[in-house]
Amino acid sequence: MTASHLRQIASVAGLLALWQLLIQTGRLSELFLPAPLSVLASMWDMTRSGELPWAVLVSLNRVVQGFVYGAAAGVFLGLLAGAVRWIEDVLDPWVAAVYPIPKSALFPLFLLWFGLGNASKIATIAIGVLFLVLVNTTTGVKSINPVLLKAARDLGATRLQVFTKVILPGALPNIFTGLRLGAGMALILVFITEIEATKAGLGFLLWEAFQLLDTRKVFAGVVTFGLLGVATTWLLQWLERVGCPWLQRST
Amino acid sequence: MLLALRDLGKTWLIKRTGERVSALESLTLDVHPGEFLILLGPSGCGKSTLLQIIAGLEAPSSGEIRFPAAGGNGKLTSMVFQDYALFPWRTVLGNIVFGPEVRGVSRGEREEKAQRLIDLVNLRGTEHRYPHELSGGMRQRVALARALANDPQILLFDEPLAALDAMTRRVLQDELLRIWGETGKTFVYVTHSLQEAVLLGSRIVLMTAHPGRIKRIVDVTLARPRHLTGRAEAEMLDQLDAELGEEVKRAMAL
Repeated sequence: MTASHLRQIASVAGLLALWQLLIQTGRLSELFLPAPLSVLASMWDMTRSGELPWAVLVSLNRVVQGFVYGAAAGVFLGLLAGAVRWIEDVLDPWVAAVYPIPKSALFPLFLLWFGLGNASKIATIAIGVLFLVLVNTTTGVKSINPVLLKAARDLGATRLQVFTKVILPGALPNIFTGLRLGAGMALILVFITEIEATKAGLGFLLWEAFQLLDTRKVFAGVVTFGLLGVATTWLLQWLERVGCPWLQRST
Repeated sequence: MLLALRDLGKTWLIKRTGERVSALESLTLDVHPGEFLILLGPSGCGKSTLLQIIAGLEAPSSGEIRFPAAGGNGKLTSMVFQDYALFPWRTVLGNIVFGPEVRGVSRGEREEKAQRLIDLVNLRGTEHRYPHELSGGMRQRVALARALANDPQILLFDEPLAALDAMTRRVLQDELLRIWGETGKTFVYVTHSLQEAVLLGSRIVLMTAHPGRIKRIVDVTLARPRHLTGRAEAEMLDQLDAELGEEVKRAMAL
Protein backbone atom coordinates (compact mmCIF):
# COMPACT_ATOMS: atom_id res chain seq x y z
CA MET A 1 0.00 0.00 0.00
CA THR A 2 1.41 3.36 -1.01
CA ALA A 3 1.29 6.69 0.77
CA SER A 4 -1.30 7.77 -1.76
CA HIS A 5 -3.60 4.89 -0.77
CA LEU A 6 -3.20 5.75 2.91
CA ARG A 7 -4.15 9.38 2.32
CA GLN A 8 -7.23 8.31 0.37
CA ILE A 9 -8.39 5.96 3.14
CA ALA A 10 -7.65 8.55 5.80
CA SER A 11 -9.71 11.12 3.89
CA VAL A 12 -12.80 8.92 3.74
CA ALA A 13 -12.51 7.48 7.24
CA GLY A 14 -11.76 10.89 8.74
CA LEU A 15 -14.74 12.61 7.16
CA LEU A 16 -17.11 9.78 8.09
CA ALA A 17 -15.86 9.85 11.69
CA LEU A 18 -16.28 13.62 11.91
CA TRP A 19 -19.77 13.33 10.47
CA GLN A 20 -20.71 10.62 13.00
CA LEU A 21 -19.26 12.73 15.82
CA LEU A 22 -21.15 15.90 14.86
CA ILE A 23 -24.43 14.03 15.09
CA GLN A 24 -23.65 12.16 18.31
CA THR A 25 -22.71 15.43 20.01
CA GLY A 26 -26.03 16.87 18.88
CA ARG A 27 -24.61 19.57 16.59
CA LEU A 28 -26.47 18.25 13.55
CA SER A 29 -30.01 16.91 13.32
CA GLU A 30 -30.47 13.38 12.00
CA LEU A 31 -33.52 14.63 10.13
CA PHE A 32 -31.26 16.43 7.66
CA LEU A 33 -28.17 14.31 7.81
CA PRO A 34 -28.40 10.83 9.33
CA ALA A 35 -25.21 9.47 10.84
CA PRO A 36 -23.21 6.99 8.76
CA LEU A 37 -23.85 4.20 11.24
CA SER A 38 -27.63 4.82 11.16
CA VAL A 39 -27.59 4.66 7.36
CA LEU A 40 -25.70 1.37 7.54
CA ALA A 41 -28.15 0.01 10.12
CA SER A 42 -31.09 1.08 8.00
CA MET A 43 -29.56 -0.58 4.91
CA TRP A 44 -29.09 -3.75 6.90
CA ASP A 45 -32.72 -3.76 8.07
CA MET A 46 -33.98 -3.10 4.55
CA THR A 47 -31.82 -5.91 3.22
CA ARG A 48 -33.10 -8.37 5.84
CA SER A 49 -36.70 -7.45 5.16
CA GLY A 50 -36.07 -7.98 1.44
CA GLU A 51 -37.16 -4.43 0.58
CA LEU A 52 -33.80 -3.24 -0.70
CA PRO A 53 -32.79 -6.35 -2.70
CA TRP A 54 -36.22 -6.36 -4.37
CA ALA A 55 -35.95 -2.68 -5.30
CA VAL A 56 -32.46 -3.25 -6.71
CA LEU A 57 -33.67 -6.24 -8.69
CA VAL A 58 -36.60 -4.37 -10.21
CA SER A 59 -34.40 -1.44 -11.18
CA LEU A 60 -31.58 -3.63 -12.49
CA ASN A 61 -34.04 -5.46 -14.70
CA ARG A 62 -35.02 -2.15 -16.30
CA VAL A 63 -31.44 -0.90 -16.55
CA VAL A 64 -30.07 -4.10 -18.06
CA GLN A 65 -32.85 -4.46 -20.61
CA GLY A 66 -32.70 -0.81 -21.65
CA PHE A 67 -28.92 -0.90 -21.79
CA VAL A 68 -28.73 -4.07 -23.86
CA TYR A 69 -31.34 -2.93 -26.41
CA GLY A 70 -29.88 0.57 -26.65
CA ALA A 71 -26.26 -0.59 -26.84
CA ALA A 72 -26.97 -3.28 -29.44
CA ALA A 73 -28.83 -0.83 -31.67
CA GLY A 74 -26.20 1.86 -31.08
CA VAL A 75 -23.28 -0.39 -32.03
CA PHE A 76 -25.09 -1.75 -35.08
CA LEU A 77 -26.19 1.64 -36.43
CA GLY A 78 -22.92 3.29 -35.44
CA LEU A 79 -20.82 0.75 -37.34
CA LEU A 80 -23.01 1.09 -40.41
CA ALA A 81 -23.04 4.88 -40.27
CA GLY A 82 -19.26 4.96 -39.87
CA ALA A 83 -18.63 2.57 -42.72
CA VAL A 84 -21.33 3.34 -45.28
CA ARG A 85 -21.76 6.87 -46.49
CA TRP A 86 -25.42 6.82 -47.46
CA ILE A 87 -26.46 5.26 -44.15
CA GLU A 88 -24.66 8.06 -42.36
CA ASP A 89 -26.50 10.61 -44.50
CA VAL A 90 -29.83 8.99 -43.62
CA LEU A 91 -29.10 8.84 -39.87
CA ASP A 92 -27.20 12.07 -39.39
CA PRO A 93 -30.09 14.58 -39.25
CA TRP A 94 -31.93 12.38 -36.72
CA VAL A 95 -28.90 12.03 -34.53
CA ALA A 96 -28.28 15.77 -34.70
CA ALA A 97 -31.90 16.47 -33.78
CA VAL A 98 -32.44 13.92 -31.00
CA TYR A 99 -28.94 13.76 -29.44
CA PRO A 100 -29.19 17.13 -27.63
CA ILE A 101 -32.64 16.40 -26.16
CA PRO A 102 -32.38 15.35 -22.52
CA LYS A 103 -33.69 11.80 -22.81
CA SER A 104 -35.70 12.23 -19.59
CA ALA A 105 -37.83 14.72 -21.53
CA LEU A 106 -38.95 11.85 -23.75
CA PHE A 107 -40.28 9.84 -20.80
CA PRO A 108 -43.73 11.50 -20.74
CA LEU A 109 -44.12 10.70 -24.43
CA PHE A 110 -43.11 7.10 -23.88
CA LEU A 111 -45.57 6.87 -20.98
CA LEU A 112 -48.23 7.92 -23.43
CA TRP A 113 -47.14 5.45 -26.09
CA PHE A 114 -46.01 2.43 -24.08
CA GLY A 115 -48.12 2.76 -20.93
CA LEU A 116 -47.26 2.86 -17.24
CA GLY A 117 -45.45 -0.47 -17.13
CA ASN A 118 -41.83 -1.41 -17.66
CA ALA A 119 -41.85 -0.77 -21.40
CA SER A 120 -41.86 3.03 -21.19
CA LYS A 121 -39.00 3.03 -18.68
CA ILE A 122 -36.93 0.55 -20.68
CA ALA A 123 -37.53 2.56 -23.85
CA THR A 124 -36.36 5.78 -22.19
CA ILE A 125 -33.20 4.09 -20.94
CA ALA A 126 -32.60 2.41 -24.30
CA ILE A 127 -32.86 5.72 -26.21
CA GLY A 128 -30.46 7.39 -23.79
CA VAL A 129 -27.92 4.60 -24.18
CA LEU A 130 -28.43 4.27 -27.94
CA PHE A 131 -27.33 7.77 -28.90
CA LEU A 132 -24.23 7.78 -26.71
CA VAL A 133 -23.13 4.40 -28.05
CA LEU A 134 -24.01 5.28 -31.65
CA VAL A 135 -22.08 8.56 -31.69
CA ASN A 136 -19.00 7.00 -30.09
CA THR A 137 -19.10 3.94 -32.36
CA THR A 138 -19.24 6.13 -35.47
CA THR A 139 -16.32 8.18 -34.18
CA GLY A 140 -14.44 4.92 -33.60
CA VAL A 141 -14.98 3.73 -37.16
CA LYS A 142 -13.87 7.07 -38.57
CA SER A 143 -10.74 7.10 -36.46
CA ILE A 144 -9.46 3.88 -38.04
CA ASN A 145 -6.31 4.56 -40.04
CA PRO A 146 -7.40 4.27 -43.72
CA VAL A 147 -4.16 2.48 -44.59
CA LEU A 148 -5.40 -0.47 -42.48
CA LEU A 149 -8.43 -0.79 -44.75
CA LYS A 150 -6.10 -0.69 -47.74
CA ALA A 151 -3.85 -3.33 -46.25
CA ALA A 152 -6.83 -5.60 -45.56
CA ARG A 153 -8.07 -5.25 -49.11
CA ASP A 154 -4.56 -5.81 -50.44
CA LEU A 155 -4.37 -9.05 -48.47
CA GLY A 156 -7.59 -10.25 -50.09
CA ALA A 157 -10.32 -9.38 -47.58
CA THR A 158 -13.85 -9.07 -48.94
CA ARG A 159 -16.02 -6.09 -47.99
CA LEU A 160 -17.70 -8.15 -45.29
CA GLN A 161 -14.34 -9.34 -43.96
CA VAL A 162 -13.06 -5.74 -43.88
CA PHE A 163 -16.14 -4.95 -41.80
CA THR A 164 -15.81 -7.81 -39.30
CA LYS A 165 -12.02 -8.03 -39.12
CA VAL A 166 -10.94 -4.39 -39.37
CA ILE A 167 -13.80 -1.96 -38.77
CA LEU A 168 -15.31 -3.77 -35.79
CA PRO A 169 -12.09 -4.36 -33.82
CA GLY A 170 -10.79 -0.95 -34.87
CA ALA A 171 -13.84 0.77 -33.42
CA LEU A 172 -13.95 -1.37 -30.25
CA PRO A 173 -12.06 1.03 -27.94
CA ASN A 174 -14.50 3.83 -28.78
CA ILE A 175 -17.44 1.44 -28.48
CA PHE A 176 -16.38 0.76 -24.90
CA THR A 177 -16.19 4.50 -24.21
CA GLY A 178 -19.78 4.73 -25.44
CA LEU A 179 -20.84 1.80 -23.27
CA ARG A 180 -19.31 3.39 -20.15
CA LEU A 181 -21.09 6.69 -20.80
CA GLY A 182 -24.25 4.76 -21.63
CA ALA A 183 -24.17 2.86 -18.35
CA GLY A 184 -23.98 6.13 -16.41
CA MET A 185 -26.88 7.48 -18.43
CA ALA A 186 -28.92 4.31 -17.77
CA LEU A 187 -28.62 4.78 -14.00
CA ILE A 188 -29.66 8.44 -14.23
CA LEU A 189 -32.66 7.57 -16.36
CA VAL A 190 -33.82 4.63 -14.24
CA PHE A 191 -34.02 6.95 -11.24
CA ILE A 192 -35.96 9.61 -13.13
CA THR A 193 -38.41 7.12 -14.65
CA GLU A 194 -39.07 5.51 -11.27
CA ILE A 195 -40.14 8.73 -9.57
CA GLU A 196 -43.54 8.66 -11.24
CA ALA A 197 -45.97 5.98 -12.25
CA THR A 198 -44.45 3.00 -10.50
CA LYS A 199 -44.66 1.14 -7.23
CA ALA A 200 -41.29 -0.59 -7.29
CA GLY A 201 -37.62 0.02 -7.86
CA LEU A 202 -34.77 1.83 -6.22
CA GLY A 203 -35.83 5.22 -7.53
CA PHE A 204 -39.35 4.69 -6.21
CA LEU A 205 -37.98 3.61 -2.81
CA LEU A 206 -35.80 6.70 -2.60
CA TRP A 207 -38.52 9.11 -3.68
CA GLU A 208 -41.15 7.61 -1.40
CA ALA A 209 -38.74 7.81 1.53
CA PHE A 210 -38.19 11.49 0.75
CA GLN A 211 -41.92 12.17 0.73
CA LEU A 212 -42.21 10.52 4.17
CA LEU A 213 -39.14 12.50 5.30
CA ASP A 214 -37.38 9.23 6.13
CA THR A 215 -33.90 10.68 5.52
CA ARG A 216 -32.11 7.50 6.57
CA LYS A 217 -33.90 5.57 3.87
CA VAL A 218 -33.18 8.30 1.32
CA PHE A 219 -29.51 7.97 2.16
CA ALA A 220 -29.70 4.20 1.92
CA GLY A 221 -31.09 4.62 -1.62
CA VAL A 222 -28.41 7.11 -2.59
CA VAL A 223 -25.64 4.84 -1.29
CA THR A 224 -27.12 1.85 -3.13
CA PHE A 225 -27.23 3.85 -6.38
CA GLY A 226 -23.58 4.70 -5.78
CA LEU A 227 -22.70 1.05 -5.28
CA LEU A 228 -24.53 0.12 -8.48
CA GLY A 229 -22.56 2.77 -10.34
CA VAL A 230 -19.26 1.44 -9.02
CA ALA A 231 -20.25 -2.13 -9.88
CA THR A 232 -21.18 -1.29 -13.48
CA THR A 233 -17.94 0.65 -13.94
CA TRP A 234 -15.95 -2.35 -12.72
CA LEU A 235 -17.89 -4.74 -14.91
CA LEU A 236 -17.34 -2.63 -18.03
CA GLN A 237 -13.66 -2.10 -17.26
CA TRP A 238 -13.28 -5.85 -16.95
CA LEU A 239 -15.12 -6.40 -20.24
CA GLU A 240 -12.87 -3.86 -21.93
CA ARG A 241 -9.75 -5.61 -20.65
CA VAL A 242 -11.04 -8.90 -22.03
CA GLY A 243 -12.33 -7.36 -25.28
CA CYS A 244 -9.36 -5.11 -26.06
CA PRO A 245 -6.28 -6.92 -24.72
CA TRP A 246 -4.01 -4.92 -27.03
CA LEU A 247 -4.80 -1.70 -25.17
CA GLN A 248 -3.09 -2.78 -21.96
CA ARG A 249 0.03 -0.79 -21.30
CA SER A 250 3.13 -2.87 -20.98
CA THR A 251 4.97 -2.32 -17.72
CA MET B 1 7.67 -11.05 -68.35
CA LEU B 2 5.66 -10.98 -65.13
CA LEU B 3 3.91 -7.66 -65.33
CA ALA B 4 3.36 -5.30 -68.23
CA LEU B 5 2.37 -1.66 -67.79
CA ARG B 6 1.29 -0.02 -71.02
CA ASP B 7 0.85 3.70 -71.42
CA LEU B 8 -0.47 4.15 -67.87
CA GLY B 9 -1.85 7.47 -66.83
CA LYS B 10 -3.42 8.72 -63.61
CA THR B 11 -4.98 12.08 -62.95
CA TRP B 12 -6.39 13.33 -59.68
CA LEU B 13 -9.20 15.78 -59.39
CA ILE B 14 -8.73 18.41 -56.70
CA LYS B 15 -12.35 18.82 -55.65
CA ARG B 16 -12.01 22.25 -54.08
CA THR B 17 -10.62 23.95 -57.16
CA GLY B 18 -11.80 21.58 -59.86
CA GLU B 19 -8.22 21.27 -61.12
CA ARG B 20 -6.94 18.09 -62.70
CA VAL B 21 -3.46 17.07 -61.62
CA SER B 22 -1.56 14.53 -63.64
CA ALA B 23 0.27 12.09 -61.34
CA LEU B 24 1.40 9.62 -64.01
CA GLU B 25 1.67 10.07 -67.75
CA SER B 26 2.19 7.54 -70.55
CA LEU B 27 4.17 5.15 -68.41
CA THR B 28 5.28 1.92 -70.05
CA LEU B 29 7.30 -0.62 -68.11
CA ASP B 30 7.93 -4.39 -67.98
CA VAL B 31 8.68 -6.16 -64.73
CA HIS B 32 10.74 -9.32 -65.09
CA PRO B 33 10.57 -12.37 -62.83
CA GLY B 34 12.99 -12.38 -59.92
CA GLU B 35 14.28 -8.84 -60.34
CA PHE B 36 14.73 -6.19 -57.65
CA LEU B 37 13.19 -3.23 -59.42
CA ILE B 38 13.63 0.18 -57.84
CA LEU B 39 11.29 3.08 -58.55
CA LEU B 40 13.38 6.11 -57.72
CA GLY B 41 12.30 9.72 -57.88
CA PRO B 42 11.53 12.91 -55.96
CA SER B 43 8.35 13.25 -53.96
CA GLY B 44 5.39 13.94 -56.18
CA CYS B 45 6.68 11.80 -59.03
CA GLY B 46 3.77 9.40 -58.65
CA LYS B 47 5.82 6.37 -57.62
CA SER B 48 3.51 5.50 -54.73
CA THR B 49 0.51 5.98 -57.01
CA LEU B 50 2.09 3.59 -59.50
CA LEU B 51 2.53 1.02 -56.74
CA GLN B 52 -1.12 1.35 -55.69
CA ILE B 53 -2.19 0.83 -59.29
CA ILE B 54 -0.06 -2.30 -59.59
CA ALA B 55 -1.59 -3.52 -56.31
CA GLY B 56 -5.09 -2.95 -57.69
CA LEU B 57 -5.89 -0.48 -54.91
CA GLU B 58 -6.25 2.38 -57.41
CA ALA B 59 -7.55 2.25 -60.94
CA PRO B 60 -5.50 3.91 -63.69
CA SER B 61 -7.17 6.77 -65.56
CA SER B 62 -5.81 5.44 -68.83
CA GLY B 63 -3.63 2.66 -70.13
CA GLU B 64 -3.39 -0.98 -69.31
CA ILE B 65 -1.90 -3.25 -66.67
CA ARG B 66 -1.40 -6.95 -67.38
CA PHE B 67 -0.01 -10.01 -65.63
CA PRO B 68 0.71 -12.13 -68.74
CA ALA B 69 1.88 -15.22 -66.85
CA ALA B 70 -1.31 -15.45 -64.80
CA GLY B 71 -3.68 -15.30 -67.74
CA GLY B 72 -4.55 -11.74 -66.96
CA ASN B 73 -6.30 -11.93 -63.61
CA GLY B 74 -5.84 -13.18 -60.09
CA LYS B 75 -3.96 -11.14 -57.53
CA LEU B 76 -0.24 -11.72 -57.67
CA THR B 77 0.98 -8.87 -55.51
CA SER B 78 1.25 -8.02 -51.83
CA MET B 79 2.16 -4.63 -50.46
CA VAL B 80 4.50 -3.64 -47.64
CA PHE B 81 3.46 -0.17 -46.49
CA GLN B 82 5.74 2.59 -45.28
CA ASP B 83 4.04 2.95 -41.92
CA TYR B 84 3.71 -0.85 -41.54
CA ALA B 85 -0.11 -0.81 -41.53
CA LEU B 86 -0.19 -3.60 -38.95
CA PHE B 87 -3.51 -4.33 -37.25
CA PRO B 88 -2.96 -3.08 -33.67
CA TRP B 89 -5.50 -5.57 -32.26
CA ARG B 90 -3.75 -8.58 -33.72
CA THR B 91 -0.58 -10.16 -32.41
CA VAL B 92 2.44 -10.76 -34.64
CA LEU B 93 1.06 -14.19 -35.49
CA GLY B 94 -2.45 -12.82 -36.01
CA ASN B 95 -1.17 -10.18 -38.42
CA ILE B 96 0.85 -12.67 -40.45
CA VAL B 97 -2.03 -15.12 -40.87
CA PHE B 98 -4.47 -12.39 -41.95
CA GLY B 99 -4.10 -12.99 -45.70
CA PRO B 100 -4.48 -16.79 -45.60
CA GLU B 101 -7.29 -16.38 -43.05
CA VAL B 102 -9.45 -14.19 -45.30
CA ARG B 103 -8.70 -16.50 -48.20
CA GLY B 104 -10.06 -19.47 -46.27
CA VAL B 105 -6.84 -21.40 -45.58
CA SER B 106 -7.31 -23.77 -42.63
CA ARG B 107 -6.00 -22.69 -39.24
CA GLY B 108 -3.37 -25.41 -38.98
CA GLU B 109 -2.00 -24.71 -42.42
CA ARG B 110 -1.85 -20.96 -42.06
CA GLU B 111 -0.20 -21.08 -38.65
CA GLU B 112 2.41 -23.50 -39.90
CA LYS B 113 3.12 -21.17 -42.78
CA ALA B 114 3.28 -18.21 -40.41
CA GLN B 115 5.85 -20.05 -38.29
CA ARG B 116 8.07 -20.59 -41.32
CA LEU B 117 7.81 -16.90 -42.20
CA ILE B 118 8.51 -15.88 -38.62
CA ASP B 119 11.73 -17.85 -38.86
CA LEU B 120 12.53 -16.31 -42.25
CA VAL B 121 12.26 -12.73 -40.97
CA ASN B 122 13.91 -13.52 -37.60
CA LEU B 123 10.96 -12.83 -35.36
CA ARG B 124 10.96 -16.06 -33.36
CA GLY B 125 9.78 -15.47 -29.77
CA THR B 126 7.63 -12.44 -30.58
CA GLU B 127 4.63 -14.37 -31.97
CA HIS B 128 2.25 -13.29 -29.22
CA ARG B 129 3.27 -9.65 -28.91
CA TYR B 130 1.13 -6.81 -30.15
CA PRO B 131 2.57 -4.34 -32.70
CA HIS B 132 2.92 -1.55 -30.14
CA GLU B 133 5.20 -3.82 -28.15
CA LEU B 134 7.68 -4.05 -31.05
CA SER B 135 10.38 -1.72 -32.35
CA GLY B 136 9.99 -0.09 -35.77
CA GLY B 137 12.38 -2.55 -37.37
CA MET B 138 10.49 -5.53 -35.96
CA ARG B 139 7.18 -4.09 -37.13
CA GLN B 140 8.48 -3.84 -40.67
CA ARG B 141 9.60 -7.49 -40.49
CA VAL B 142 6.05 -8.43 -39.46
CA ALA B 143 4.67 -6.43 -42.39
CA LEU B 144 7.04 -8.27 -44.73
CA ALA B 145 6.09 -11.68 -43.35
CA ARG B 146 2.40 -10.77 -43.62
CA ALA B 147 2.85 -9.81 -47.26
CA LEU B 148 4.74 -13.04 -47.96
CA ALA B 149 2.04 -15.17 -46.34
CA ASN B 150 -0.19 -14.87 -49.40
CA ASP B 151 2.65 -16.25 -51.49
CA PRO B 152 2.55 -13.39 -54.03
CA GLN B 153 4.75 -13.42 -57.11
CA ILE B 154 5.48 -9.74 -56.73
CA LEU B 155 6.13 -7.90 -53.49
CA LEU B 156 5.46 -4.18 -53.58
CA PHE B 157 7.37 -1.98 -51.15
CA ASP B 158 6.29 1.62 -50.53
CA GLU B 159 9.32 3.28 -48.94
CA PRO B 160 9.35 0.55 -46.29
CA LEU B 161 12.41 1.76 -44.41
CA ALA B 162 11.82 5.50 -44.56
CA ALA B 163 10.52 5.72 -40.99
CA LEU B 164 13.45 3.83 -39.44
CA ASP B 165 16.70 5.11 -37.97
CA ALA B 166 19.83 4.82 -40.13
CA MET B 167 21.33 1.80 -38.36
CA THR B 168 18.14 -0.24 -38.33
CA ARG B 169 17.70 0.66 -41.98
CA ARG B 170 21.14 -0.74 -42.88
CA VAL B 171 20.40 -4.00 -41.12
CA LEU B 172 17.01 -4.35 -42.79
CA GLN B 173 18.43 -3.58 -46.22
CA ASP B 174 20.70 -6.61 -45.87
CA GLU B 175 17.79 -8.67 -44.56
CA LEU B 176 15.69 -7.68 -47.56
CA LEU B 177 18.45 -8.78 -49.93
CA ARG B 178 18.77 -12.10 -48.10
CA ILE B 179 15.01 -12.69 -48.24
CA TRP B 180 14.89 -11.63 -51.89
CA GLY B 181 17.59 -14.23 -52.59
CA GLU B 182 16.00 -16.97 -50.49
CA THR B 183 12.45 -16.58 -51.79
CA GLY B 184 13.24 -15.80 -55.43
CA LYS B 185 10.31 -13.34 -55.46
CA THR B 186 10.12 -10.25 -57.62
CA PHE B 187 10.51 -7.04 -55.63
CA VAL B 188 9.18 -3.69 -56.81
CA TYR B 189 10.55 -1.14 -54.41
CA VAL B 190 9.73 2.55 -54.14
CA THR B 191 12.31 4.81 -52.55
CA HIS B 192 13.65 8.33 -52.75
CA SER B 193 17.02 7.27 -51.38
CA LEU B 194 19.82 7.05 -53.92
CA GLN B 195 21.94 4.96 -51.61
CA GLU B 196 19.15 2.45 -51.12
CA ALA B 197 18.59 2.25 -54.87
CA VAL B 198 22.26 1.53 -55.57
CA LEU B 199 22.60 -0.95 -52.68
CA LEU B 200 19.49 -2.98 -53.47
CA GLY B 201 18.38 -2.66 -57.07
CA SER B 202 19.00 -4.88 -60.03
CA ARG B 203 17.25 -2.23 -62.15
CA ILE B 204 16.53 1.36 -61.27
CA VAL B 205 13.65 3.25 -62.86
CA LEU B 206 14.43 6.92 -62.57
CA MET B 207 11.24 8.96 -62.55
CA THR B 208 10.45 12.60 -63.21
CA ALA B 209 7.94 14.70 -61.31
CA HIS B 210 4.85 16.63 -62.43
CA PRO B 211 3.81 14.59 -64.27
CA GLY B 212 5.35 11.28 -63.24
CA ARG B 213 7.17 9.78 -66.20
CA ILE B 214 10.08 7.47 -66.70
CA LYS B 215 13.24 9.46 -67.32
CA ARG B 216 15.63 6.57 -67.68
CA ILE B 217 15.99 2.91 -66.73
CA VAL B 218 19.38 1.92 -65.36
CA ASP B 219 20.57 -1.71 -65.28
CA VAL B 220 22.66 -2.18 -62.18
CA THR B 221 25.30 -4.80 -62.92
CA LEU B 222 27.44 -4.13 -59.87
CA ALA B 223 28.51 -7.28 -58.02
CA ARG B 224 26.88 -8.11 -54.68
CA PRO B 225 27.45 -7.56 -51.82
CA ARG B 226 27.66 -3.89 -52.60
CA HIS B 227 29.32 -1.21 -50.52
CA LEU B 228 28.56 2.45 -50.85
CA THR B 229 32.27 3.18 -50.47
CA GLY B 230 33.25 1.03 -53.46
CA ARG B 231 34.48 2.89 -56.54
CA ALA B 232 31.89 1.57 -58.99
CA GLU B 233 29.10 2.19 -56.50
CA ALA B 234 30.33 5.72 -55.87
CA GLU B 235 30.41 6.48 -59.59
CA MET B 236 26.87 5.27 -60.02
CA LEU B 237 25.74 7.31 -57.03
CA ASP B 238 27.33 10.45 -58.48
CA GLN B 239 25.69 9.93 -61.80
CA LEU B 240 22.24 9.25 -60.33
CA ASP B 241 22.69 12.14 -57.93
CA ALA B 242 23.21 14.56 -60.80
CA GLU B 243 20.19 13.29 -62.70
CA LEU B 244 17.93 13.19 -59.67
CA GLY B 245 19.14 16.63 -58.57
CA GLU B 246 17.89 18.09 -61.82
CA GLU B 247 14.51 16.47 -61.28
CA VAL B 248 14.18 17.73 -57.73
CA LYS B 249 14.98 21.28 -58.82
CA ARG B 250 12.45 21.02 -61.61
CA ALA B 251 9.83 19.63 -59.24
CA MET B 252 10.40 22.39 -56.69
CA ALA B 253 10.28 25.12 -59.31
CA LEU B 254 6.72 24.16 -60.12
